[in-house]
Amino acid sequence: MMLLLFGGSIYYFLYNYSYTDFYKRLETRATIAAKYNFDADKVTAESFKTIREEHLERLTEEKEYLYQIEQNSDLKEVAKKSLLPLHFIRDIVANAKSTLQINDTFYTGIRYNNNEKLYIVVVSAKNYYASHHLLFMRNIIFVAIILIILITTYLSLFFSKHIFDPIKNITRRVKQISTENIHLRIEENNEDDEISQLISTFNDLLNRLETAFETQKNFISNASHEFGTPLTSIMGEAEVMLMKERSPEEYQQSLTSILGQAERLNQITQTLLYLAQTGYTNKRVHFEILRTDELIWQTKEMIDKLNPKNNIQIDFSLLPENPKKLKVMGNKQLLYLAFTNILNNACKYSNNKPVQVTIASSDNQVFLAFKDQGIGIPASEMPFIYDPFFRASNTRNFEGYGIGLPLARNIIKIHNGHLQVSSVVEKGTTVQIKLPLAVIQ
Amino acid sequence: MARTIFIPTDFKIASLNTLKLALNNIQEEKVNVILVYCEEEPDSITEFLFYTPQKTIKSLKSPEFEEAISIIRNRYETVIQSINIELFHGYTVNSLKNFVEARKIDTIYLPKSYALQLPKNGFDPIPLIKKSKLPYQEVGWETNDYASEQVQLNTLFSY
Repeated sequence: MMLLLFGGSIYYFLYNYSYTDFYKRLETRATIAAKYNFDADKVTAESFKTIREEHLERLTEEKEYLYQIEQNSDLKEVAKKSLLPLHFIRDIVANAKSTLQINDTFYTGIRYNNNEKLYIVVVSAKNYYASHHLLFMRNIIFVAIILIILITTYLSLFFSKHIFDPIKNITRRVKQISTENIHLRIEENNEDDEISQLISTFNDLLNRLETAFETQKNFISNASHEFGTPLTSIMGEAEVMLMKERSPEEYQQSLTSILGQAERLNQITQTLLYLAQTGYTNKRVHFEILRTDELIWQTKEMIDKLNPKNNIQIDFSLLPENPKKLKVMGNKQLLYLAFTNILNNACKYSNNKPVQVTIASSDNQVFLAFKDQGIGIPASEMPFIYDPFFRASNTRNFEGYGIGLPLARNIIKIHNGHLQVSSVVEKGTTVQIKLPLAVIQ
Repeated sequence: MARTIFIPTDFKIASLNTLKLALNNIQEEKVNVILVYCEEEPDSITEFLFYTPQKTIKSLKSPEFEEAISIIRNRYETVIQSINIELFHGYTVNSLKNFVEARKIDTIYLPKSYALQLPKNGFDPIPLIKKSKLPYQEVGWETNDYASEQVQLNTLFSY
């Protein structure tokens, strides 16, 4: 459309211009003709004629018409004589000059006064330029427009087909990936464009999905294992006891052992229940303003009772001077549970080596760091530490079910905080917790 | 009378330990802290155009660094009057002396064991300070061990 407008306007303006130009040329010729035909001065007239013949090329079918107009002569007569239309002659007489086009012959007429006699001089010629050059140009424009349209159509079709090739490719690959072959990834090309960003985003998503899938698989097998072990020992104990008659002491002993196993089962179920409750936060937990340092002290007292050999050092070197900066909105029981879990783990996996608890607070967060010198977590197992029942490969010698850390993380999440674990094998583990400060009016 | 102290920094949280230790030494006095980051000046005209120290500081300062500063400010709320970060461009002892004099700095605290980890264009002012014969005080603990008794600020932040 734009092209048509462009070509059309070029053609139209050139056409107009060539016509005005041609009329002007005819007019000059008419003036010269009038000069050498009617000028009294014969010498000037002669020289005009020579100049004209020498310097002005003859136009195609150039003709001159010279007519004298009497004061009262009929213009119709002149028209008839010259075969020119009447209105044209009238126009010349009235306006001193006029133009006319009949087919491809162009006429320019002027009025000429000489010795108080009125003449009209008409020069006619065919416009070779207009008829041929313009036609040629029109053809060129037409062909060019058609060519351009063809090329653009081809190119746009080509690009519209191929520009989405990488995206189609991604779609094809992603479609191939299902739950059975979730390990498949889209090949990444190392260009820094949007497509490779899309690909790496997809791959990241798939990585997370794969971890989630594995978590689920692990959860079921780990959970059944955790529940299975005490159940098997209860069953075994009972079967052995029922084989023959036993003394009351033996019964007592076996019942105590059964009770211990049942208690263990009960504990697992309890923590699992907590985990489930904290995992879904649709039920609003009761929040109150708490001082984190008090909570840590209470936790330490609790652990002192459970494990008198612990070596927890609470570090106040970064404690803010203003106690307001330690207050958080939280549920006392839940935070208590989380801290107990973390500190218990820290003591357990470090065989009661010193555990350092640091409390600090910035302008909008309370920072807690629990740093132990325990066995650490292998780097390859870091992605799984928040999976329920997951236990790192180096924890064989320690008792536990692997619910503590996920539970603590869920609790911190409920409080809009962050829990982060960093660890070096054989050096120790640091658990960092950030909790938002309570807004106190 | 408030004291003004000079602490070199590299915009790493570990460098703030020097500040913490320095503040432990100061009691019952108001302190203005100037954290100084030393950087080579840009040497092209185009870089100088629109150059402001604030912009450089802003680009180097991480949210964690700011958080760590606010932890220290909360810890020593009654002592600290202000904490400012400033850029120092000089290479010579005289320019350093001018800088110290202009800001009425009373004490320069340097880390004993921590080596500044400087970003691009930054340089370590500690040799210059030692050369200048300005009074300085070194603070720090002997070992940088993981099991160190002293709690380092960076325990609170993960990298």
